[in-house]
Amino acid sequence: MPKHIVSGLKYLTAVELIRDGFSQKDVANILEMDRSTVSHYLNGRNLSWNSIEVAEIITNFCSRDFLTLTYALLNDSEKTRIIIKTCSKKKYQAKVEDSCIGCGLCADTCLMNAIILDDLKAEIDAEWCCGCLMCGDVCPTNSIKISEEKNGS
Amino acid sequence: MVANVKEVKAKEVTVKRASPEEKRELSFKDEICVGCGICEKICPVQAIELGPINAIERTGVEESKISIDETKCVLCGMCSSVCPVDALEFDIDEKSIKEIEGYPKLIKSAEISDEDCIYCKACETACPRDAITIARVLPDRSKLVTGEIEIDKETCVSCGICEEMCPADAITMEHHEPTSAEPTVSTDINVDKEKCVYCLICKKSCPVDAIKAVCRSCSYGEYDLNPEDTEIKGSSFIDEEACVDCGWCQEICPVDAAHVEKAFEGELLIDQEKCEACGACLEICPCNVLSFPKEEFGKQGAENVRAEEKYCIYCGACEKACPVEAIEVKRTAVKHTPTKSKSWEKKMESLKT
Amino acid sequence: MVELKVDQDKCLGCGNCVVSCPVNGAISPESAGGHGPKTEEVIMMVENGLVKLFNVDKCTQCGTCPLFCPTDAIYLE
Repeated sequence: MPKHIVSGLKYLTAVELIRDGFSQKDVANILEMDRSTVSHYLNGRNLSWNSIEVAEIITNFCSRDFLTLTYALLNDSEKTRIIIKTCSKKKYQAKVEDSCIGCGLCADTCLMNAIILDDLKAEIDAEWCCGCLMCGDVCPTNSIKISEEKNGS
Repeated sequence: MVANVKEVKAKEVTVKRASPEEKRELSFKDEICVGCGICEKICPVQAIELGPINAIERTGVEESKISIDETKCVLCGMCSSVCPVDALEFDIDEKSIKEIEGYPKLIKSAEISDEDCIYCKACETACPRDAITIARVLPDRSKLVTGEIEIDKETCVSCGICEEMCPADAITMEHHEPTSAEPTVSTDINVDKEKCVYCLICKKSCPVDAIKAVCRSCSYGEYDLNPEDTEIKGSSFIDEEACVDCGWCQEICPVDAAHVEKAFEGELLIDQEKCEACGACLEICPCNVLSFPKEEFGKQGAENVRAEEKYCIYCGACEKACPVEAIEVKRTAVKHTPTKSKSWEKKMESLKT
Repeated sequence: MVELKVDQDKCLGCGNCVVSCPVNGAISPESAGGHGPKTEEVIMMVENGLVKLFNVDKCTQCGTCPLFCPTDAIYLE
């Protein structure tokens, strides 16, 4: 069953990536799949529509559940990052306040590897932020503020 | 989730956190700690607690001077940055934050200039932390001697007075039990030129004037001492781990060869009225700043405890140790290398009182 | 937690601890003179020839009394 959900998630990701202009070869590389499997996926073969349905429901979970579940299913941080970034429908704004002490707990916690430390301060790459807020939970100084980016703002 | 790991080896405590990206490690050396409590004060997550310093230092209670709660510690490194004696070390990926740019570091140092040092060892003796070693090689004494003696063995009556009088044990007589075949009390008398310092005690005490003196200055006019022969060679070493930059070496050095830069500036205030002269501060102070003024003992209005502030590093250990709140340590300046982090800057400033 | 403790079996009742204790001195200045404190507000006092702890919560664990006790009857542990 988990395998099927993973297939569904990969299918959704592959579709999105193709839409973003990637070639089948690129997609195969990114998701570490066989090119023929990608081709089969995209043509709706070897994949139950149920899996895709379940995967779609998962992508609509709140960000943290989507992320932690996907990571639990794949146990691969690189592929998890790609799937979350590609399938996530929301964008986030991240701000780190001056009270940050640069302890790096957030960077160690972030499954999206969206956080780096620069001059004793965390910097969040909004491009990769999935809005799971796990960084904010571990921050000892409560310095991380993340908000959903509304359309047009 | 990345969790902290705590290791305790004898009195060394380390707290570590390793993620695939980064390894952070805080290590505490109990024997270096002076129990000032600055780490406890600066810790942003209250993970550090100062132990019963007086009980540990004065009555031998076996406890660590500070305790670090690894479940609270976030491994930010602030405690290490401000520790005035470097008892806390903090490494990121095995590199000390003292070597990582951007982390503020207390500006403090102690140096002895080998160019100016005369190797008198005053600093070595005075250093309250036994952090200084002065190694010196003295000139060959025989090369500094200004003359030579010679014993006229014909005149010598082998009385042995010169041998007994010589303060340098440079004269040896071959004592001999007289026999009818050889009716003498001595077979020979010799001067060890390596030992003789040309003091002429022998010449002055010889009852038969058998000792001839040859003065180098008299014979050659100018005193012909080779400057190289008088040179005192040596080297100085400061154990940075033990040194607390208190300034004793600088104050006691007769030739200004020692230079100390202190990280904190401030004021040490003692309320003589409140002081009960228990001596806790004297024992805790890592810099021998405090003393009981013996000459004033029992006098009306005398100081209970005296402070020589020039040796103070304003660490505040005495203030913490005082059981009757008679001591106040004010810090008016905290000198550190710059940091771009506003929170760190603010924390460094918070050490001022 | 380190605490001030007394072993009455070892105590000689000499009162060195009472006199040397800086907190006692602050609470009852006459105790420093050796006349004995005038109030039970102090940390320890000699009663019936033995030391007794009255207000151990006031002890700052400065370690002075154990230094003056001739029999290690008062100690921090």
